[in-house]
Amino acid sequence: MSSAASNSKAAESSKVPEQPQQEPQPHVGVLEEDDEFEEFAAADWNDSETDLAHLAGGAPGAAKSGGDKLWEDNWDDDDIEDEFSVQLRNELAKTKESTAMES
Amino acid sequence: MPMDFSTYIIQLNDAILAENGPNLAYLLRPTSPHGKELVKEFRNPTRATMGRYEGCMQSPWDDIAIQYVFVCTHVAKKRYIEAFKEESQLVSLFLRFFTENRGWTLPALFSILRDLRDLAMDADFHAKYNNQKSECMEDSARTIAKAFGHCMTDRTSPPDQSRKWGVYYVVGLVLKSYFRIKRISLSKNILRALQANTDIPPLSAFPRSHQVTYRYYIGMLSFLNEEFEKAEEELTLAFYNCHIEAHSNQERILAYLIPLRILKGHLPSAELMKRFPVLDEIFAPFITAIRTGDLKSFDQALDKWEVRLLELNLWFSLEKARELCIRGLFRKMWVATGKGTRIPISMFHTALTVSGIDVVEDEAECLVANMIYKNFIRGYISHEKQMVVLAAANTFPRVADRPSPLAMI
Repeated sequence: MSSAASNSKAAESSKVPEQPQQEPQPHVGVLEEDDEFEEFAAADWNDSETDLAHLAGGAPGAAKSGGDKLWEDNWDDDDIEDEFSVQLRNELAKTKESTAMES
Repeated sequence: MPMDFSTYIIQLNDAILAENGPNLAYLLRPTSPHGKELVKEFRNPTRATMGRYEGCMQSPWDDIAIQYVFVCTHVAKKRYIEAFKEESQLVSLFLRFFTENRGWTLPALFSILRDLRDLAMDADFHAKYNNQKSECMEDSARTIAKAFGHCMTDRTSPPDQSRKWGVYYVVGLVLKSYFRIKRISLSKNILRALQANTDIPPLSAFPRSHQVTYRYYIGMLSFLNEEFEKAEEELTLAFYNCHIEAHSNQERILAYLIPLRILKGHLPSAELMKRFPVLDEIFAPFITAIRTGDLKSFDQALDKWEVRLLELNLWFSLEKARELCIRGLFRKMWVATGKGTRIPISMFHTALTVSGIDVVEDEAECLVANMIYKNFIRGYISHEKQMVVLAAANTFPRVADRPSPLAMI
């Protein structure tokens, strides 16, 4: 009942020590293969102890427009001043010119 | 005062008479303090020396008490495989009692099944370390599946005292074991048995710990079978019903829920990601790239973390999310060219080229056709004129507004 037995103790937050790697891959802590879904410390609990608490009766996962601040369903913006947009606009202008010349 | 074997037997007897499940669980746990005391009392117990205690309690409890001494002795001496075998025997004996009793026994059942699994894990771990073959985990999965059957078949207890209140917890343990031994196809049989039984109370009537664990594994099975709609549904309920302090469980659920929600058109907010830095590190590059239509960064992130994503079974879903990034890129091009309704294919082609995607114009046309087909863009292609004619209103609908987005993958 040593190493693996601790898996069924709840609320343990042991992190796998980081290994220095040449190619930096994300070290995913609890997502390592040998870890698994843990036993809960309690059998049951109330809404107030869950992420349902902030929903005020809305549907879980409905996104901000539906009252769930954890998700966003509208991220489009028309800002075209970032570096990539400027580069894109220059290239598009060239394409437009050449298309205009062809036709 | 240390507990000797006769006191242990009296306490077992009291717990059974009082129908005190939690106390019974405590008495049968190898890590409880009295376990060590019994090890000291007997030093080297054998079948022969322990035989004299047979009949000291009603059957099968005399044998269960003896088994308990064996288990504790092997655990103390770090004989992992033997400890597992004796615990298996203890569980089998307990199941005889269990099938003739009501739901008050469930806390003890849950506890000995957990111990069995933990001992199996230890046994396999040490066997592997010593280059030996060991299939304790397979064995324990079979025993736990048998216990599940004994919960299901309670036809006599009154509904509120039924052993059926154990089904979801035990199924959770079985699925956990199948995932551990990488035999998830075995899940089908047990889930079929669960669904065939119509008089089990609704899942929502069970303790939340049972609900969340069950939904997590159903969600994972659906995810791996590429049934994304079902997976999203189950993992969403698992996440929202999970105890907020069970952080690593929430993290584990979100690791698979986040890509599914992205595909649906819901990006995790900064507030959510701040709570899960480990996930933020994985997903942030993809989310940022989708927000800004930066296909080059998206592809770089896919490339850089390919190995890790494949290990976590996340690569496929994130590769699918690339379509959202392409949508973002095309929208950006559309904004940059003044939001016209007629855009030459060459413009789409240029947008791809600037993003480092080296394709011919025909392929660009194909990509646009695909985006239209999947409702990312509203419009049609005039192939002869090499022109995309876009809808004047709602040209790029919100990703979440597409009809059944997860069915289109």
